[in-house]
Amino acid sequence: MPPDNLTRLSIAEAGDLFRRRALSPVELTRAYLDRIRRLDGDLLAYITVLQDEALAAAAAAEREIARGEDRGPLHGIPIALKDLVMTRGVRTTCGSRILRDWVPDTDATVARRLADAGAVLLGKLNMHEFAYGPTGVNPHYGTSRNPWDRHRIPGGSSSGSGVAVAAGLCAGALGTDTGGSVRIPAALCGIVGLKPTYGRVSRAGVVPLAWSLDHVGPMTRTVTDAALLLQVLAGRDPADPSTPAVPVPDYRRALQGGVRGLRLGVPKDLFFERLDPEVRAAVAAAARSLEGLGAVVEEIPLPTIQHAGPASFAIIASEAMAYHEPYLRTRAGEYGEDVRARLTTGQFVLAHQYLKAQRARQVIRAEVDAVLTRVDALLFPTTPIPAPRLDEREVTVDGVTEDARWWLIRCTRPINVTGHPALSVPCGLTAAGLPIGLQLVGRAFDEATLLRIGHAFEAVSPVRDLRPSEA
Amino acid sequence: MAPISIQLLQALTQELTRLPATPGDLAIAASQLAVQLDGLARLDALDLLAVEPATVLVPPAEAPEGPHAA
Repeated sequence: MPPDNLTRLSIAEAGDLFRRRALSPVELTRAYLDRIRRLDGDLLAYITVLQDEALAAAAAAEREIARGEDRGPLHGIPIALKDLVMTRGVRTTCGSRILRDWVPDTDATVARRLADAGAVLLGKLNMHEFAYGPTGVNPHYGTSRNPWDRHRIPGGSSSGSGVAVAAGLCAGALGTDTGGSVRIPAALCGIVGLKPTYGRVSRAGVVPLAWSLDHVGPMTRTVTDAALLLQVLAGRDPADPSTPAVPVPDYRRALQGGVRGLRLGVPKDLFFERLDPEVRAAVAAAARSLEGLGAVVEEIPLPTIQHAGPASFAIIASEAMAYHEPYLRTRAGEYGEDVRARLTTGQFVLAHQYLKAQRARQVIRAEVDAVLTRVDALLFPTTPIPAPRLDEREVTVDGVTEDARWWLIRCTRPINVTGHPALSVPCGLTAAGLPIGLQLVGRAFDEATLLRIGHAFEAVSPVRDLRPSEA
Repeated sequence: MAPISIQLLQALTQELTRLPATPGDLAIAASQLAVQLDGLARLDALDLLAVEPATVLVPPAEAPEGPHAA
């Protein structure tokens, strides 16, 4: 198989080939490293590439598999991590100048779980500085380019993760999501992104943006691959007190079953106000496809969701400020301008506003919980717009002009406020060839149903197996 | 949306929070706050005194060689 075809394989497909001895982890790792060498000078998905370490890990996996020591579906699979996941002995920059040379001496729990599962770490991925922004624009390491159109942003903050997965520079990646940072680049780059339930995946060893809203999640080319990664990541971690001992189901098995009889709620409040017409049409078509598969789609009210935006603002601004205050006091000049300005804003959010926002979350979460007793999942766009141009600061939709960043986070940040799981699946392309994401939101700790719906939709999706053209 | 004075924010940073901030940062902060404060005030419509606040977790203690030591 030509090397570039190898980098189009899904994790599940590559694993099957390993077990049939039709492909080796070293061969696959070399194919990815070669592609990174050829394409990443332009795409800027990686901050650090671990060529020697990856080849050594792949060789070790190859020996283990040859001996019949199978660690599971990720064994020998080349993956990459957003560069705020701590990696022992490997610098972890957070996309910042401040941490440019920081080398942790421990692994984050998620990094350790992936290593224990036999995954091969290709490197650390570019991101919006300290994860504080939805565009992926980075003044320190360059801005990752959207592989569907290099004049457009990939979305962030997990920008490098979105680009690397979409462009075939790794088989799967981890991102983090505080206001949409897994789902936004997933939607804009045409891949699958899962923000699990708050507490489903440990954040221990992941540099925080806003602790009470942060989530770690997989970014992959297929829903099955997201299930395989979540299987390894999910579960209680004593090092992260937000992870309860909720049983972890068999996510791959849960993919089967289809959507016949499932009820999908379409919340018109907020999520369908002012959409790019092509996004509106693609999401409507996706809903019809799911109806065609036997799901029942119905409109549902969600009036308190309008308050999620201000609550999200107060919480992120306050918690990010609390984390960054020591740096701001002594190293403010080392931040990029946009992140420093946003952090500066945090010092003016008052304590009672923060507490009010934390209380508001309970009301909004209770309303979403109540709706999810009547329907199995919610369905709406991941982003109201496709990827803006790199120089596009403001975007106009339906005659309303707003900062591009506010458009990007409008449909994602409410679900960080409630903590429910949310999956973004590609559902279309605009006439200009830009990906569109469909967002599915489920009951707390019921990622399995979301993956099942996403998997069923993927099979009939108009963009199934579509990849950006070769560079 | 009521405008917020940059001079007010400058005075607050100098006398209250004592964090360095450039005029450019403060202008952006003023603009962001002006957009958000009305929305924060509208949270009162949710009858918040009747609910328990969400659990507020803080990040775990950092090791001495953690990111802030960099």
